[in-house]
Amino acid sequence: MPNDQENSVKLTVDKFIFRFPRDLRYSEAGLWIRQEGELLRMGLSDFTQQRNGDIAFATLKQVGPVDVEDELASIETVKVNISIPSPFKGTIVELNSELEESPELINQEPYGRGWMVLVQPENLAADLGKLMRAEAYSDLARQQAEAELKR
Amino acid sequence: MSRTATYNTTVNWKGEYWGHIRMGNGPEMDFSAPPDALGHAGVLTPEDAFVAAVNTCVMMMFIWSSERFKLDLVSYECRAEGTKVIELDRTETFTQVTLRPRIVVRTDAAGREGTLKRLQRALDSAVKYSLVANSIKSRLVLEPETVATS
Repeated sequence: MPNDQENSVKLTVDKFIFRFPRDLRYSEAGLWIRQEGELLRMGLSDFTQQRNGDIAFATLKQVGPVDVEDELASIETVKVNISIPSPFKGTIVELNSELEESPELINQEPYGRGWMVLVQPENLAADLGKLMRAEAYSDLARQQAEAELKR
Repeated sequence: MSRTATYNTTVNWKGEYWGHIRMGNGPEMDFSAPPDALGHAGVLTPEDAFVAAVNTCVMMMFIWSSERFKLDLVSYECRAEGTKVIELDRTETFTQVTLRPRIVVRTDAAGREGTLKRLQRALDSAVKYSLVANSIKSRLVLEPETVATS
């Protein structure tokens, strides 16, 4: 059975450790995307959830059409409010209803029970091609983290 | 290197076991040691200041987090207790600070369970994000009493 090191890219910045599973793709805005047949499941990356802090509320766009850059989720943490844009045009077919009562799942299990939306993209192949693999996203996260520390 | 900020206080010896402190944020006052350590009653002591620093910081962070968790806060009162251990070599350490907040929030019957869950999360976040709580080596114990009222 492959170990965690093989399954994920591990990024260490200062005292923080971030993990990025290799079987996922990532958007610049900090979403992870998992292909499930013709559908794409999405959530916040480990870097995005740790960087923004304890989540108080997660408001998701309703089931239905979604365009590129539409607000997919509005996240209110103890420290900040963030807006997560959709990387795709398509249709939201399912929301994670557990997040209404337990938004902390995004912090606790960002790649599992903390998933946010399931989308049917309009152009699956092209959309997936625009996303980053774990190694590239880890590089971007490192740059963002280092820029944040220098502010 | 993480971002930093600095805070300052200045103390002056006034003779015997008396001092005067000027806080960076403005207030100033006399201070002493506790009466059982050759100090004086009725004034600030380092021991009280330590326990107060934890208590005030966690409260201010809770006020912030209760707003973020959209709680309708009615009241907050917290007694904090620092436990000092005198070691064999006569050094002294605050090994534990216990916070006993009594928090009342307003909610309707239907939302009671969800409100109490958010209240607990707000309290956990207050401790997690408290600068002073993060900075001490004493064990921090939280013994809250939470009340949801209509």
